[in-house]
Amino acid sequence: MSDYLPFLVLGVTSGSIYALAALGLVVTYTTSGVFNFAHGTVAMVSAYAYYTLTVTHHMKPVLALLLIVLGLGPLIGIVVDKALFRRLVGAGSAAYVVVSIGLLVALQGLVIIKYGPTARPVPNIFPSGVVDLGQVNVGYDQIAITAIAAGLGLGLVVFFTKTQTGLDMRAVVDDPQLSELTGANASRTTAMAWMLGSSFAALAGVLLAPTLGVDATLLTLLVVQAFGAAALGRLRSLPIAYLGAIGLGIAGQLSTKWTGRWATEHTWLGGLPNSLPFIVLFTVLLVSKKGSFVELTRNVASRTQAAGLAPGARRFPTALLIGLVAVSLVIPSIATDSRVTTATTALAMLVVFASLSLLLGLSRQISLCHAVFVALGASTLGHLQNQGVPFLPALLLSGLIVVPVAGLLAIPAIRLSGLFLALATFGFGVLFQNLLFRTSWVFGTAGQLGVDRPSVFGHNLTGTKGFYWFTLVISIVSVLVIEVIRATRLGRLLRATADSNVAVETLGINTTAARTVVFCTSGFFAAIAGGLLGAQVSSVSTTSFNFLSSMLWVTVLVAAGAATLGGATLATLLLVAIPAFFTSAEVINYQTAAFGIAAIMFAQAPNGVIGLITELPRRAFVAKLADDGVPRIAARRARMAERLAVSGR
Amino acid sequence: MTLELRHVRAGYGRTEVLHDVSLTVPDGATVALLGSNGAGKTTTLKTIAGLVHPSAGDVCWNGKALGHSAPHHRVDQGICLIPEGRGIFRNLTVAENLAMHVRGRRKADAVRTATKYFPVLGERLSQTAGTMSGGQQQMLAVARALVTQPQLLMIDELSVGLAPVVIDELFAAVAMLRAEGRSLLIVEQYVHRALAIADYVYILHKGRIAFVGEPAQCEGGAVFSRYLGEGVA
Repeated sequence: MSDYLPFLVLGVTSGSIYALAALGLVVTYTTSGVFNFAHGTVAMVSAYAYYTLTVTHHMKPVLALLLIVLGLGPLIGIVVDKALFRRLVGAGSAAYVVVSIGLLVALQGLVIIKYGPTARPVPNIFPSGVVDLGQVNVGYDQIAITAIAAGLGLGLVVFFTKTQTGLDMRAVVDDPQLSELTGANASRTTAMAWMLGSSFAALAGVLLAPTLGVDATLLTLLVVQAFGAAALGRLRSLPIAYLGAIGLGIAGQLSTKWTGRWATEHTWLGGLPNSLPFIVLFTVLLVSKKGSFVELTRNVASRTQAAGLAPGARRFPTALLIGLVAVSLVIPSIATDSRVTTATTALAMLVVFASLSLLLGLSRQISLCHAVFVALGASTLGHLQNQGVPFLPALLLSGLIVVPVAGLLAIPAIRLSGLFLALATFGFGVLFQNLLFRTSWVFGTAGQLGVDRPSVFGHNLTGTKGFYWFTLVISIVSVLVIEVIRATRLGRLLRATADSNVAVETLGINTTAARTVVFCTSGFFAAIAGGLLGAQVSSVSTTSFNFLSSMLWVTVLVAAGAATLGGATLATLLLVAIPAFFTSAEVINYQTAAFGIAAIMFAQAPNGVIGLITELPRRAFVAKLADDGVPRIAARRARMAERLAVSGR
Repeated sequence: MTLELRHVRAGYGRTEVLHDVSLTVPDGATVALLGSNGAGKTTTLKTIAGLVHPSAGDVCWNGKALGHSAPHHRVDQGICLIPEGRGIFRNLTVAENLAMHVRGRRKADAVRTATKYFPVLGERLSQTAGTMSGGQQQMLAVARALVTQPQLLMIDELSVGLAPVVIDELFAAVAMLRAEGRSLLIVEQYVHRALAIADYVYILHKGRIAFVGEPAQCEGGAVFSRYLGEGVA
């Protein structure tokens, strides 16, 4: 038993920090209806603020902690509420997910611009020293953290059940208009809920910082472990979220102890402790009784439902396709070799975005694990090549092998929608990255796998231009198939399920099959694109694609326009072509931040930037009509109505 | 405390729903607001409650224009709207719903008053409101008016989707509020029930007041058949 006690103490301590994060998450969700994917990012920003205050400005750690938790945390909360989410009232849940992911991506980019990607140590908050409890020594900091989490958790429960403000917060998310009618100030209450929630995130971030050092990606990823604990309580129960986090903390530490002795042999076991919360998240979402996860979307949403169908989403984009092919044909004859390489990457990314748009734009299902498909496509291609399979069949096979993986995701996609599907795919993505990417059967024993370029029918296509032509053919065929799907019956069906799944089912149509097919198709093409990307750089490794890539792609595609090929094309240009013209590494970070901000701005637009561009002529026409046409029509109608009323009809 | 709408125009976005509506609810009087679907009844109530702001004209309470004041300020001044549908917080318990309404004042008194008129609520204080039957939910919505004692009570479609016996019970509570001398403004699909307790009748037609009078003037059905369709009266 005494062997386990140190791990138990560590588990309760780390669990307490996750509990603080989970409590904040549940508070914001239950009181504003917004699940903040950027919750961990708020914690991360707070940890960097702690670094700046204590290291740069030599402030006392406790003072810095108080300043951040009582000042910065609430400030971030109020800004996020008023500037980002308040504008969205009435939008669909997809818009909320995209905005919070945009915020995550943007802040991540901005912090790396300012502080760089390397971790930095920060001073301890609590005095060092231990209390001897006989069989185990417990640090002052561990006692303090556990006490803080337990005290604040209890405080929150009392606050929500016993005080009028707490009651107001729960009432506002239920029905903001009605709560105004009972005399509550709904706007102020929501703002307070955000302040409270992000204060908790800030506290979690600062408490984590001394043990981990401040590292942007690591902190964000650690705090999202709270998602699993929150999911246990259906995102709504504070006590379950608290206990769940403690439990997960202990389980994580115990699994570290148990797997320790095998970890050198089975490298994937090393990822198990950090994966537990995501296993829980994915499993809870997957096995929960249907209907136990109900989205807290605001009532007013029903009247002003989210933006309708994007213009041009129904048409087959013949002109754009011809244009794309034409431009692609001339590129090799006018561009330098390095530009042709960029163009090859762009063509492969076009397929990635087109396949993602099948989910995001067509059936409006948010998938946050697209990078998994891409990475698996590349690694499967590498493995098959090692077995001596020629390139073309290997590429096709790697696409097909990913289909069942994508099909696995169709299970939550059938059961869940909106926010919860996004959460499940997020959990799935992180899980895959933490656990399976470490195994030899994904990226080989070295964590890196060579991918050779093709040789087709005796033609060697390994050169820059040769591979470009090959990629061009594969990409155009893939995009054509995707566009055909979009323009035909399956496409119409998926658009219809996005509006109302129930309505489609009452027509006697099997929507389950449609949703499964779209996930499998999307996964297939993402894997093909992954194979092309792998062959382009001739290798793929554990770090090539991660869960942040998935999030970045979603933000770029939504900003550019997720509903049409035009959007996918613009997304490719933004992500691949623009950085190619800049050599500075900083541009990449600014680009990330800019994409996050753009996604926030265009989350509500029916088809992002491209939608606005294509709609401009129509808008001008409508505006003209409104200026001179509509009043005349209205006046005529009014005159007719009066005549009818007088004549007694 | 008199409520007066003076030449109010209001709507949603670019769509104007109310074109020049003037209406008065004298102190202690009961006014029935009738009209076909889309006539602007609910918009009128929302404008008075502060959920919709008039683009022209004034809503005056006790002689003072309310301007663009927020709904929760109007609640403080004694204006209460029970909105269409079930005006309750579905995810809160019955007791918490009542506590929302009395807002920090005496919660025990509120529960006592509510259960005196609707005993069934007393048995369900800790039940989540959204899981009760439609009739019980509407009782809870009306109980709010009983516990907050507003000066002006507006009820939007009290009887929608309910059984006649439940409607009787709800109208008994409304009649009692009327007897206590509170001003009532009622939108109701069962015209007879509304006329039975109303002192004055307004008929809205396409966003304009088409008729003002007393219930007796509505007898014979000529007014109704013109504005509400045949066979209503």
